[in-house]
Amino acid sequence: MPGSALDRKFDRIREMEEAGKLKTRTGSRALRKMLNNPLALVGLVLFSIILLASVFAPWLTEYDPGKIDLRGRLQAPSADHWFGTDKTGRDVFARVLYGGRVSILVGLGSALLCAAVGVLIGCYAGYKGGWIDVICLRISEIFMAFPQIILVLLLVSIVGQSLLNLIIIFVVSGWGAMFRLARARMLSLREEEYVQALRSFGVSTARICYKHILPNALGPIMVNVTLTTAMFILAEAGLSFLGLGVPLNIPTWGNILNVAQDLRVLQNNWWMWLPVGLVISLFVLSVNFIGDGLRDSADPMQQG
Amino acid sequence: MLIFIIRRLLILIPMLVVISFLVYLGLEFTPGDAVSHMIPPELANTVSAEKLELIRESLGLNKSFLHRYWIWLTHAVTGDFGHSLAGGVAISQIVLDRLPATLELSAAALLISTILGCLLGTYSALHRGSWSDSGLTVVGMLGVSIPEFFFGLVAILIFALKLGWLPVGGRLMPGFDSWFDHLPNIVLPALVLSLMMTAGVMRYSRSSMLDALNRDFIKTARSKGLPEWRINFLHGFRVALTPVIVIIGFRLPTLIGGSVIIEEVFQWPGVGAEFIEAVRGQDYPLVMMIALFSVFAMLLASLIVDVLTAWIDPRVRMGAQ
Repeated sequence: MPGSALDRKFDRIREMEEAGKLKTRTGSRALRKMLNNPLALVGLVLFSIILLASVFAPWLTEYDPGKIDLRGRLQAPSADHWFGTDKTGRDVFARVLYGGRVSILVGLGSALLCAAVGVLIGCYAGYKGGWIDVICLRISEIFMAFPQIILVLLLVSIVGQSLLNLIIIFVVSGWGAMFRLARARMLSLREEEYVQALRSFGVSTARICYKHILPNALGPIMVNVTLTTAMFILAEAGLSFLGLGVPLNIPTWGNILNVAQDLRVLQNNWWMWLPVGLVISLFVLSVNFIGDGLRDSADPMQQG
Repeated sequence: MLIFIIRRLLILIPMLVVISFLVYLGLEFTPGDAVSHMIPPELANTVSAEKLELIRESLGLNKSFLHRYWIWLTHAVTGDFGHSLAGGVAISQIVLDRLPATLELSAAALLISTILGCLLGTYSALHRGSWSDSGLTVVGMLGVSIPEFFFGLVAILIFALKLGWLPVGGRLMPGFDSWFDHLPNIVLPALVLSLMMTAGVMRYSRSSMLDALNRDFIKTARSKGLPEWRINFLHGFRVALTPVIVIIGFRLPTLIGGSVIIEEVFQWPGVGAEFIEAVRGQDYPLVMMIALFSVFAMLLASLIVDVLTAWIDPRVRMGAQ
């Protein structure tokens, strides 16, 4: 009988329903899809571990990252110093933890600020169109004509090195991409019928933009925030490695790696640069996994 | 087609002028001027203010900002880009000296990443869902997550310091100057530089290949009874390649950016390493010019990408007119 297979399936579903296993699922579907993605889950766990370890650094290590101990210089990793000590006897593990605070702040903070600036301008310009849009587009083109690192280094040489300057420089060099993304989403969403309905009710432009359209454009923006975070953390590490990023007296992941420019350190004192490099790689990897997971869960074509 | 190219070239000019103006304006806010760099600090107090003024006047430094920019611009158009503060060498000379090394490194990295990326991506697409596919996906993710310079350091440690197979850095050994002599020198920096881009190309060619394999003409080819390799390579890969070329073009900036740090790590005497030296030494004219040259290179790269896409896909060409 052709219907029997289907009947059996329905029976099974009814059984599950009666057993109470088949509740209407609650919670965000995007979140559920994300948690079903093993790589995204691994990323989330890694991200949380590194983030929490940095935030709660004083509870995890008794050493002060800046304390110089000339009698304990260049010690290899031991039970006392998990990642050993550096040329001036500072505990590398403590420096990695405290450095994480600054590096993550720079990376995540700049990415969020970039998104705020880019989305604020992009939504308005994309919705309004006209000359505001053209001017904003041209300005963003100017900033995007530079290779990122060249623009960053150029700005560093103009305004000088400091933690705040670096964040500002990252925002200046990175808002363009976010602006383009928000604007492009806006251009397609502003033609939707609900927007026309809102306009006919006389709702103000800013309200339509930020309250009604923006939430629908948030998916790709969130994905881009994660990718930008990864990019800025790599950029900070690279710049500080060159000695041109965050001033050397502040521990950051890049500044810890700075010592590896010396070939003797590179060859003989692996603990001074290898662990921190791995931590950076793992952190960026976790951010990228989360970004990929977000991208998949924001995509309605994929069910989960 | 020619008109398309010429139009795009003409758009470049105002862009470059505006950017050079902004950069010039930015450098206006940097501390000190050319004169303060010319006089050694230990003699700064012995030189009288009038004398300084005289030197400024002779160099045209007390003219208005716009006037000075105009002078700079007219010189730049004729190919005179000024002199570096350190050593007073003509900037065009410095860039010309350093450019071959950078081009050599970038070309090598581009070649490696394109070939490797396309091969791995296609392989991954053809074995979709297998263990090797997931493995390659994770490896690709690692490729974009490891800082390039850190990867370079590890490579130096293993292949140069521990195993001694390849040199630590530099481009030319003293006494050897034929192209083959510095082949060992380029291997490590080129491989390291291509890492991130290989990962990117791999991801794009995988998805592009998957896309192509789902199209109807593949079914037609299969129903005709063509052998599987013919379907994959002559039909699928050819179609999949077009978007990949575009992506490679858009990835050029990453390559330019990446080469700055990689050149420094491997002491490769290219434009990037010179740029970092200039930033460290606050050699503002040199910083400005190298930045402008890189913008020019970027704009040119995007122009080439546009021309390539227009050439491959007639719809783009029609839409632009």
